[in-house]
Amino acid sequence: MDLQSLKKQEHQRRIKYGFMWALFCAVLWGLWYLPGTAVWVLNPFDQMYGEVAASSGDGMALVIVAVLITAFNAATVILALGVWNGVLGKFGEMKRTLKEFHPCSKWFFLASIFGGPMAILGSFIAMGFVGGAFAAVAALMYPVVGAILASKWYGEKVTKRAFVGIIVIILGGITIFGGGVITEIASGNVLWVGYLGGLMAATGWGIEGAIAGKGLDIAEPDVGLTLRFIGEGIIWWIIAIPLLAIIGFPMIKYALLAFEPLTMLVLVFAGITFGFCYVAWYKSFPLIGVGRGQGIGNLYGLFAVIFIFLFFGDVPSWTILVGGFLCLAGSTIMFSEDTGEMESLRGD
Amino acid sequence: MANRPIKFRILELCNSGKWNYEIVEQIQKEYNMHGDFQRDSINFDIIELASGGMLEDIETKVDEEGIYKKGFLLHKYALTEFGKVRAADACLMYV
Repeated sequence: MDLQSLKKQEHQRRIKYGFMWALFCAVLWGLWYLPGTAVWVLNPFDQMYGEVAASSGDGMALVIVAVLITAFNAATVILALGVWNGVLGKFGEMKRTLKEFHPCSKWFFLASIFGGPMAILGSFIAMGFVGGAFAAVAALMYPVVGAILASKWYGEKVTKRAFVGIIVIILGGITIFGGGVITEIASGNVLWVGYLGGLMAATGWGIEGAIAGKGLDIAEPDVGLTLRFIGEGIIWWIIAIPLLAIIGFPMIKYALLAFEPLTMLVLVFAGITFGFCYVAWYKSFPLIGVGRGQGIGNLYGLFAVIFIFLFFGDVPSWTILVGGFLCLAGSTIMFSEDTGEMESLRGD
Repeated sequence: MANRPIKFRILELCNSGKWNYEIVEQIQKEYNMHGDFQRDSINFDIIELASGGMLEDIETKVDEEGIYKKGFLLHKYALTEFGKVRAADACLMYV
């Protein structure tokens, strides 16, 4: 085989791996909705919701419980990633990266602020004050934010075709959750805080991706990601939870009650799926770019619906089938792009 | 040596242009990393740096003798302008 065709083959392999990682991310993210949904009805979170709702109202209860669940989620993700890095033998590299605060680790800690309190909490706020469907649609917008930031900030190339693909997947997502959103908004009395939560989710994850892309330039993805979650763990466990406890919410009491076998099992399952969804997400960025990685990652909406149907038996309506078709069409637009366009992901 | 993140060291090594198998060998030695898995993981770091626009391959040849992997490509990499900026930020050696 000659040099040119070997070059082409090698390049195609890189793109293929990039898309594969992004697809893994979407599947795992979709899978995460199973423990992510189930954990709300388990104790102590169910009890906690009741107690906070009685004194502060349903919306507030949802956000407060969300903080504790997200904190546990971050903790189990750190655990899963710890095992992962141990198996790969990357603790040494983690120490080296952590020490490089200025060029490297500061980006991951910054990413944890946008991805954690801003995006994850924002999406729970959207769920609490508007509804689950609205939260899901709002989150689907994040690749647009991510792609625009990555291209303006450090000149990542986003081809027209990739952008069209992202838009079609978003339209698919809107169709999947659209009916629910209309019902939720039409039910009236939607507080503006709910919409703010949606905006936080879309911009938070988009900014996280762009910032992480900056740090990943010169760091190992597995290591960078673990640092990002350690950052999030610190935000929840050292700042948010003690602060809320001081204000008077029963955070510590219910945190200690969470060590029940079933609750822990579900939380660990959430940690594993969420952790590895992020591993796959971060691995795809250097290979196919932030815009494409996030675009394909957006298929999580479709996978979430499929898994929820398989495990909980919620039958999807026809809008979901149409939306699913749009999601597939959007990804095909991206998959089938001539990879010659992606020789380097940066530049004019 | 071996007290800074691997990608920093790769950028440093590529300053004057280097073949990927040379980089991998040197990193393996400096960071005490053995085995095929570690070797491939270092090579993957190089690929990531290249797709991130910090390294460009200035020469390519087919690995006929199996220096790295027989039948696959060998790349000689050098820092790009963007790579120099990022390296200056990280490694301080161009400042």
